[in-house]
Amino acid sequence: MTNRSLPRLLQSPAVILLLIWMLIPLGMTLYFSFIRYVLNSLRRPEWTQPSLSNWRGFGNYEFVLNNKDFLFAIQNSLFIVCSILFLTVMLGVMIAVLINKAFPGRGIVRVLLISPFFVMPAVNAVLWINMILDPVLGLQGLAVAGINTLIDGLQTAPIVGSFFSLWPEIEPISFRATQTSAYAVIIMVTWQWTPFAVLIFMTSLQSEDQQQKEAATLDGAGPWSQFRFLTLPHLARPIAIVVMIQAIFHLSLYAEIEIVSRGNGNKNLPYLIGEFANNNIGAASATGIFAVILANIVAIFLLRMIGKTLME
Amino acid sequence: MGQIVLEKVSKSFGETQVIPPLDLTIEDGEFAVFVGPSGCGKSTLLRLIAGLEDTTSGTVSIDGENVTEVSPSKRGLAMVFQTYALYPHMTVRKNIAFPMRMAGLSEEEQDRRIMAAAESLNLVDYLDRKPGQLSGGQRQRVAIGRAIVRNPSAFLFDEPLSNLDAALRVGMRIEISEMHARMKTTMIYVTHDQVEAMTMADKIVVLQSGVIEQVGSPLELYSAPRNLFVAGFIGSPKMNLIDGEEAAKHGAKTIGIRPEHIDVVEDGGIWMGTIGVAERLGSDTFFHVNGTGLAETLTVRALGDVALRHGDTIHLNPRADEIHRFDAQGLRVS
Ligand SMILES: Nc1ncnc2c1ncn2[C@@H]1O[C@H](COP(=O)(O)OP(=O)(O)O)[C@@H](O)[C@H]1O
Ligand SMILES: [Mg+2]
Repeated sequence: MTNRSLPRLLQSPAVILLLIWMLIPLGMTLYFSFIRYVLNSLRRPEWTQPSLSNWRGFGNYEFVLNNKDFLFAIQNSLFIVCSILFLTVMLGVMIAVLINKAFPGRGIVRVLLISPFFVMPAVNAVLWINMILDPVLGLQGLAVAGINTLIDGLQTAPIVGSFFSLWPEIEPISFRATQTSAYAVIIMVTWQWTPFAVLIFMTSLQSEDQQQKEAATLDGAGPWSQFRFLTLPHLARPIAIVVMIQAIFHLSLYAEIEIVSRGNGNKNLPYLIGEFANNNIGAASATGIFAVILANIVAIFLLRMIGKTLME
Repeated sequence: MGQIVLEKVSKSFGETQVIPPLDLTIEDGEFAVFVGPSGCGKSTLLRLIAGLEDTTSGTVSIDGENVTEVSPSKRGLAMVFQTYALYPHMTVRKNIAFPMRMAGLSEEEQDRRIMAAAESLNLVDYLDRKPGQLSGGQRQRVAIGRAIVRNPSAFLFDEPLSNLDAALRVGMRIEISEMHARMKTTMIYVTHDQVEAMTMADKIVVLQSGVIEQVGSPLELYSAPRNLFVAGFIGSPKMNLIDGEEAAKHGAKTIGIRPEHIDVVEDGGIWMGTIGVAERLGSDTFFHVNGTGLAETLTVRALGDVALRHGDTIHLNPRADEIHRFDAQGLRVS
């Protein structure tokens, strides 16, 4: 046995296990996506068993592409993921930089900041849609009602009354509606995942070289230039990590979408897969393959973009 | 221009006073070296001058102007750090350009100065590399380049050579000295290595626990150390310090004599002892002499190779006019 083949041999169980882990589900999805396979069919009972004799070629893919919700689901997936990424990275960097300075009570603030991350997604969605965003009973409804009462009061006040009587009554926003349900999901997931970004960025900021900052101070760089030319490039790698991990997680959002509006006006690919999987496993599998492709494109595209903009 | 004056400057971190009030003047164009053991406050003093630390009391003036409250970037000083403090994601060119970019200089002017600095520092071939792809010496050169292009009124170096290997250190030492001879800009150089201090300085400031022990030219410190600390710190190998009876003969609490001021004689010397270790450098031989009854060991320099071996008896004659005398407070008696 040569020197090189022994390490290879010793590595092989891990590699083989990983391959099996990835390849079997992917292989089965691919297989199902090329055959007719439904859970229930009175007319064609032979389709209820997965079998090569039910070969459909690209028929499932065609069926999915022609589905009226498919393009919308892709667009909506991208919209939700990109919005969440943008918001969490922005907020994450801002908060991490702010709490990187020493101040009294920093330990407690840090713990509180991390806590949203420990809330389960379904609980998070229920909390937000019922207790915060609800137009009547949630904080939003209460706040809007409060403001309206205040304006009402001011309209009858002397002097300023004529000014405030021009103000319209504020309408609360219904976040379960077709047009707004995506925003509700973006808000609640951003709230939940910003702590993750903060945590990663905070760790990275602690390893930032202080002498570089002092050198930059002497070189005439103000706080903004130091942030732009030193801190942001230093954070490029953690930002890439946060974006990658979150992109993968958020492309498969499901619970929030289900709880907010049951997909009304707000479907993504996983939700579409869920709908197909009620009966048509073939179509669901084909959609799954599309989702894999989309995830890869998004990942590559995002990493390129971050690399270019931050590293100059 | 670049005369730097400290008046009654002190610095405390919380309760601990690192630098008690001190006065110091560094003349325009001078090469001043702060030297002292680790933790004596050299870096702190330098950072006070740079403005990276606020003074607890006292004033810092540059060219007669009080800059105590002036921000670091407005003081017109450039600093080179021990860890180089290069910007890791920028190329060498961008690193050197950074201060000029912050100052809003035109692209042509930036390029002109970058090329001039790169040529004088042998960095032309490396301009498009990142700091991570350079050797320690090259990184230090980039840091110096970044300082040069600002045309500062004074350069501040904080142990710039400590991270380099010995051979490179000697080379860079000479380069920095040459740079000073050429530019004639004020330089303040911090080191714990007294050889660097002796070889480079116009003026040495010896510090201990934040207190200035002595200020003077290298030869002044060498030939007339003001107290025992300076006597022991300056010079390599160290000055021999002798207490007791022998010192009393000279009317002092302690006397000191440098290894090169003790002559090895055939016999009939004033002192004698047995040779412990002999360090042969070719040009000189240093004998560590035991059993003299004066001090634990005496270090003696003999010119060239002397045919004396370990365990041999050696006869020594100190040169009377080279004996330094110190009183009970450790101060020089002249
Ligand atoms: N930011 C700081 N906070 C508290 N103590 C400090 C700080 N910086 C330096 N010191 C203390 O001041 C003393 C002098 O430090 P320094 O100037 O770095 O010494 P040197 O450069 O001579 O080795 C040391 O005892 C060090 O512990
Ligand atoms: Mg230091």
